[in-house]
Amino acid sequence: MEGDLKTFIIPNDLCRRTGLAASWTPINQMSVFAYEKRNVRQKDGPSNFASSQPSSVFLLRQHVLLFQPILRKLVNESNGAFLNLQGVISDKTLDHKSELLKLSRQYRSIVRACLEDLQDDITKVEGEDKETLQDYITIFYSIECIWHLCEILFVDTIPGNIVLPLLLDWVRFHFPKHERNAANMLSGDLIGLEANPEFWPTVIGSLLQGRVKVVRALLKQHSASDSHVFRLVDQILKAMPVYNVFSGTSVSEFNIQWRHWTVDVQSKIDAKMFVTSPNLNLIMRLVVGEETAWTEIQSHCETWYELLAAWLFYTEPTVKIFEVGQFAKHCITKMRMRNNMKHLDRVLLAAMEFDVLQVIKEIQHMSENGWFVTHLTDLLYHAGKLSNLEKEVETFSAEKLHESFLLDYGSLLMGHKSLWQVGLSYLDFCPTEGLKAIELILPRIPLETEAKTQKILREAKNRELVHVAQSICKVQGMKSLKRGRLGNALTWALKSQDGPFTSFLADKFLHEYTKDGKLASTDLLDNLGSCMLASDRLIFLGKYYEFHKLYQSGEYKEAANLLVSLLASKIIPNYFWYVLFIEAIPLLESEEIVFSSNDTYTIIHCLEEKEDLPELKDKIEILRLAAARNLSRALTYEAQLV
Amino acid sequence: MFEAQEINAEHKDLIHDVAYDYYGDRMATCSSDQYVKVWDHNKDGKWTETSSFKAHSGSVWKVTWAHPEFGQVLATCSFDRTAAVWEEIVGDTPGPGERGTRHWVRRTNLVDSRTSVTDIKFGPKIQGLQLATCSAEGIIRIYEAPDVMNLSQWTLQHEVQCKLACSCLSWNPSLSKMQPQMLAVGSDDANPANGGKVFIYEYSENTRRWTKLETISSITEPVNDISFAPNLGRSFHLLAVATKDVRILHLTPVEDVQSIQSGLTKLEVESVAQFEDHNSTVWRVCWNITGTILATSGDDGCVRMFKMNYIKSWKPVAVLKGDGSHVTSEPQKTAQAIPSGLQMPPLSQTARYFKLGSISQPRDVPWH
Repeated sequence: MEGDLKTFIIPNDLCRRTGLAASWTPINQMSVFAYEKRNVRQKDGPSNFASSQPSSVFLLRQHVLLFQPILRKLVNESNGAFLNLQGVISDKTLDHKSELLKLSRQYRSIVRACLEDLQDDITKVEGEDKETLQDYITIFYSIECIWHLCEILFVDTIPGNIVLPLLLDWVRFHFPKHERNAANMLSGDLIGLEANPEFWPTVIGSLLQGRVKVVRALLKQHSASDSHVFRLVDQILKAMPVYNVFSGTSVSEFNIQWRHWTVDVQSKIDAKMFVTSPNLNLIMRLVVGEETAWTEIQSHCETWYELLAAWLFYTEPTVKIFEVGQFAKHCITKMRMRNNMKHLDRVLLAAMEFDVLQVIKEIQHMSENGWFVTHLTDLLYHAGKLSNLEKEVETFSAEKLHESFLLDYGSLLMGHKSLWQVGLSYLDFCPTEGLKAIELILPRIPLETEAKTQKILREAKNRELVHVAQSICKVQGMKSLKRGRLGNALTWALKSQDGPFTSFLADKFLHEYTKDGKLASTDLLDNLGSCMLASDRLIFLGKYYEFHKLYQSGEYKEAANLLVSLLASKIIPNYFWYVLFIEAIPLLESEEIVFSSNDTYTIIHCLEEKEDLPELKDKIEILRLAAARNLSRALTYEAQLV
Repeated sequence: MFEAQEINAEHKDLIHDVAYDYYGDRMATCSSDQYVKVWDHNKDGKWTETSSFKAHSGSVWKVTWAHPEFGQVLATCSFDRTAAVWEEIVGDTPGPGERGTRHWVRRTNLVDSRTSVTDIKFGPKIQGLQLATCSAEGIIRIYEAPDVMNLSQWTLQHEVQCKLACSCLSWNPSLSKMQPQMLAVGSDDANPANGGKVFIYEYSENTRRWTKLETISSITEPVNDISFAPNLGRSFHLLAVATKDVRILHLTPVEDVQSIQSGLTKLEVESVAQFEDHNSTVWRVCWNITGTILATSGDDGCVRMFKMNYIKSWKPVAVLKGDGSHVTSEPQKTAQAIPSGLQMPPLSQTARYFKLGSISQPRDVPWH
């Protein structure tokens, strides 16, 4: 999509003299700094810029309007509508067309609500903030206006393609001034209404918006309303044929009625029947479509599309939806606007010409960070309005265009510290690149709090991104380790299912124990359960802890059994043999015999195997003695049993 | 519309590289003043220097972070012919908040190169802790820490002769274990007669060797930087090259009888974009996280951004340019420009952003 190239200024003189370089941060930001390429073949030394000026790094971020607190509601509520829309599309039992129309209206009411909030707020602030809010109002007003027209032209189902009633609604909605004035006049003091300077402008304005009844009601309040000319005008307006697609009248029948009526009015104009009242004469010349009359009232119209709807109402009441574009251009020419079309004008014209691609191109530049283009494109895509473009435009792909907007919008929100989950929900609907984007971005969301970490893990697991979840756990484990919180680290390591890391931590626990005789995080060790199987070293730690517990609670027999099975298991870390042997001494020497002769043989075997361990050097004699004594006691005891 | 926060880097000479950690919460800078500085970002978005250490005895060219699974680890390379790995240690005495006192220790010094070490990059974490360096003498070295819990032991696993002076390298950040590791290396050799200046290497598990897959013959001018884009599930690898212009290449693995027999990937190389917008030599290329926007810097002093649209064609979208004459016109800015160094504590802990002025057309830039 096109965009003009814009140059941004980094306000720094050093940057000007040396040139710039840039580095991206992980999500949506970049930093730039003064940079000069040094050739590695030159002699190394201070550059010409050394110490001359402090060098700065400029961290750049896009100014994202959507991140303003006042627009938070818009972002969240439109996300709800977006998700509803995806639900509707996946539900084959629903009538998609009518559901999409409902959703389109829902989006518009969200924008209206947002505009109301902005209107409320603008009264509360001053100066620069006021200007900013005014800018936002302009942006969202345009969005609503374009969306409404697109809804009429692309989403709504129009019987017989007779679009005029909807276009009038659209114009009435966006130019409510005349309706308001008329209502005020009719509800107020009715005597001498024409003295109000707004009387005739309101009559003409209402006429241009096709509110004939209002025009008649206003004219009735004129003090001369009983005069012949007023009564004649009232009769004419009353008799004006209005096309209704459901009335049973065919278009050709209607056109005949219409021609009769205009011929009749024209003859009355020609007979100078209205010349006594120039205003009424003007009204009559307008309703028959007299060019000079329309030129006279052009200034009543703020925009070309206001004129368009009025002009169509009195000259082409049965205009078909696909003819609107040519009349639109006609009105633009008439109002001499061709060369000063604003952005909004261009978008509306493109829509009326059914140039969907041009509409999408233009609305990318609305300065609201893609909110509008993403949601409208999504709606049009699902309404099937993009797929036919593929035949007309080479290299165009509706799917890819749709996905690229979702991807951009989703990634943008992922960069926000509290909107990242909203962002995720858009990436979820990018069929080809969404999951990969999540895989890249999700693990990089800063893990500021435990709660946030759990949320991120849940989102990863919901999408079966197991390795992402494991990596996050590993990082948390590593962080805990560096802060000396071994228990936390082990919990995370278990979640990360990283065997070597778990072993490393189990070793840490055991080493700590050999140093100070205390086992840390006993709660965790108590509840290891099957998690223990993550690594051999952890199994050993868990078993050793069980032994420790039995020993402490005086259950020597069970403790002894466990000790012997550990000795026989060959999962004892080398540095820990010493501890086990030392702790075996009191058991060997205990009053009650806790080791059988076979157990004692096992101990003696292990002792022989490990007798070269340096730390055992001064204990080996005691151990041998204790083992021998226990063996004799056990053998004697066992002999008695035979 | 952009807004910027100025961080006074307090280096005594120009900065050669700025690198962000995995989350963008920490920033490392390196400079010709031989120092590396580490910056942390507080809850309110303000950046403060938390470490500054003399890393080398020559200009420090590059600084790069390891994946946080390995802890807080940096690697640097320098004109002094060495590369180094640094780890941050949290002291036993807890400081304010949850963090203890921190400092960086040099875990290893890699001294195999006989010339300036021009680039250094950690490999994809799926392969463990690997480090690639390249040097002016034309050798690529792959180091590995066999025990990731012990960063003082690194073994030199591979030395790959490149024949031409190497200036830059990039790992293919493939996310799957299925894909063989791939490296792209650029040479700033000035003689076009020496042929292509970009080389693609692949590691073969069978032969346990790095093999050159491809020399990109269409690029014969000196190459200053090279970078693989993160892979968004595309069927091709995206490679950006900084040479006399900006090049964007698609490398598409093709499966044919020959490649299956040899066990080596065969690549189809296609140049998809070539931008001469800098009108001069291009020094650096850098991808955003999804590989959809490329930022480049060149001898015209500008940073330029290029974006890929939905049908994978590339367009310039924005330019950044330094200009000191705008400084005085921004009152808020001048307050910022006062170095906030050591003399007094910052008044506000909240980061201040100012809007960047622009030379502009009325339209806004579609950044995304």
